[in-house]
Amino acid sequence: MFSAKIKLEKSLYDRVARAGERAGYSSTDEFVTHVLEKAVSDLQDESSDEEVQKQLRGLGYIE
Amino acid sequence: MAHNGDDITIVSGLPRCGTSLMMQMIDAGGLRALTDEARARDEDNPRGYYELEAVKRTKQDPSWLDAAGGRVVKLVYLLLYDLPADRSYRVIFMKRDLREAVRSQADMLARRQTQGADLTDSQMIKAFQGQLAKIQRWLDEQPNFRVLCVNYNDLMKDPTPVVEAVNRFLGGQLHRDAMLGCVDPSLYRQRAGS
Repeated sequence: MFSAKIKLEKSLYDRVARAGERAGYSSTDEFVTHVLEKAVSDLQDESSDEEVQKQLRGLGYIE
Repeated sequence: MAHNGDDITIVSGLPRCGTSLMMQMIDAGGLRALTDEARARDEDNPRGYYELEAVKRTKQDPSWLDAAGGRVVKLVYLLLYDLPADRSYRVIFMKRDLREAVRSQADMLARRQTQGADLTDSQMIKAFQGQLAKIQRWLDEQPNFRVLCVNYNDLMKDPTPVVEAVNRFLGGQLHRDAMLGCVDPSLYRQRAGS
């Protein structure tokens, strides 16, 4: 798997590690990957909703 | 339900999925369309759009619904979310091969000389797939909506079973031959295989 390093403050890393453990993730890497995937997907959904509205507006179906 | 009048019949779906054709068919079958004909027929819809401008402002002013009992009205799928929960709706939800729908939308945007989404066709298709899944989930949860999905491609291939299903869904009183007479294959211009 591709690996990249991201700098975090130690206090944040510790909180993330504890939260992942409490939520039942097998590792902090797995938890961080899941959280990032969800955050990116939410942002993409939001932007795609806006584009769909632009499309419907352009076609004259909504104001 | 606060309103006990006739159910309101709605034809909905994504743009360019056969909603105008379905409106025309149901109107010809005997359930009158509620339309102001503000958008005139054109090359994209030579037989008319069967639209009502007021539906676009449903969230702010749903009063047009007072005249909609026992009629059929067209709403793009995104406006279904704005319908008040105190009435009952029968929805005929049109679906179509999304490659055809998106291509047809692009043609319409070009003719109207208006701006659509800044997405490629494949991104647009993906976005619409997400939107369709979302509205389907939402419709499944609404106790005051009954939904019949109709595939435009099936309708153009073999209209008779589709007309029968629509007529059954709407109570079985529509004039089937008049509905069938509205289906004109020459207006099926964007085909995925072409």
